[in-house]
Amino acid sequence: MDERVSQLKKFQKELSAGTVSLVLLAVLGQSRQPLYGYQIAKRLEELGEGVLAGKQSALYPVLRNLEAAGLLASEVEPSVSGPPRRYYRITPPGREVLREWVAAWNATRESVDKVLQGEV
Amino acid sequence: MNAPRTINEYLDQLRAALRGADPALVQDALYDAEEHLRAELAEQPSRGEADMLAHVVGSYGAPDEVAELYRDQEIRIQRALRPPSPPKRRSLAGRFFGVAADPRTYGALFYMVLALATGIFYFTWAVTGVSLSAGLSILIVGLPFIVLFFGSVRVLSLVEGRIVEAMLGARMPRRPPYPTRDLTLMKRIGSMFTDARTWTTLLYMLLMLPLGIVYFTIAVTLVSVSVAFIGAPVAWMVNGGDLSRLFVDHRVIVHWGFGEHVPGWGEVIGLCVLGVLLLFATLHLARGLGRMHGQVARHLLVRG
Repeated sequence: MDERVSQLKKFQKELSAGTVSLVLLAVLGQSRQPLYGYQIAKRLEELGEGVLAGKQSALYPVLRNLEAAGLLASEVEPSVSGPPRRYYRITPPGREVLREWVAAWNATRESVDKVLQGEV
Repeated sequence: MNAPRTINEYLDQLRAALRGADPALVQDALYDAEEHLRAELAEQPSRGEADMLAHVVGSYGAPDEVAELYRDQEIRIQRALRPPSPPKRRSLAGRFFGVAADPRTYGALFYMVLALATGIFYFTWAVTGVSLSAGLSILIVGLPFIVLFFGSVRVLSLVEGRIVEAMLGARMPRRPPYPTRDLTLMKRIGSMFTDARTWTTLLYMLLMLPLGIVYFTIAVTLVSVSVAFIGAPVAWMVNGGDLSRLFVDHRVIVHWGFGEHVPGWGEVIGLCVLGVLLLFATLHLARGLGRMHGQVARHLLVRG
């Protein structure tokens, strides 16, 4: 039993590693105003466990990497509750990349679905 | 490990779980966690800290899970961002000339030239700030000025961190250090001065002037001497075997230990070979100094 749980955990972790950048980019692509890490985490939480495999801490390093790659831009604003918050928004190159990634994701999903439905 | 009951306990456990990791990574992870937890607490202040944390361990992750996640991420990023390391060469000549294929070499060389400008700026900023802070401290405006100045030192330390990471390849923090205790504003200001890192950053800024001068001088001198040596045959050909017209005192002589004389064809070729060797030796020196400076920056700018 334990074996199977850890197998599932590992699989979820690998899935999330591949999709989390796409999801974060999509969330920020759809949002009208800039969001900070906690807000993004809460939006994803509403969708249920899937994307981050339940661990919201995973999104902060990814946000940072997307910013370093120029797909996101950010600015810092002070907050009363704790450290200054970093608000992220998508950049024009980010939108381009998102479009390509969505196409790649659709292609992958279709082919995986076909395999799972036994059409091979 | 007990379930954390306060945010500070959570951060302490996270710090403990990350023991042995890169200090720059620890600083980033703690900042992210603090930002998230404080936001969570601010969202529902009625719930209480312990209750919120019990919930957060499920959503944000328990300290050891978070630590593992950051470690994993770090390995993946390092693989993705690092320029591919040049193939290891066995032969002596391969190792000597292989330095030219290593992107770090050029980053370090460029950093050495840039260090003069940044060094002058940091030094001026630090000296002016410290003296004005001391001078104004007897006035009412003194305190805000001092706080602003120390804040600017932190920002500059992040900026320098980005430069060092981009050019020298040493992992530096992407988030500023944040005092992890619940403190009043005055105590938080006080902690700026008791934080050893503030003072080591100031030391680094002072140190950058002499270091910058040394780096710049070494880089510019050695590169121009090597390039001049390498160009010797060209100058010799263009001037029809007579180098004297290139110089103000009309006396170009070489001295290999057997007496002074005007250089001939063979000697000009010799100079060229010497120049090539000197250029590659310079690249080795630049890469070595870059690595050393990266360590200096990590020790002085990142809280251990």
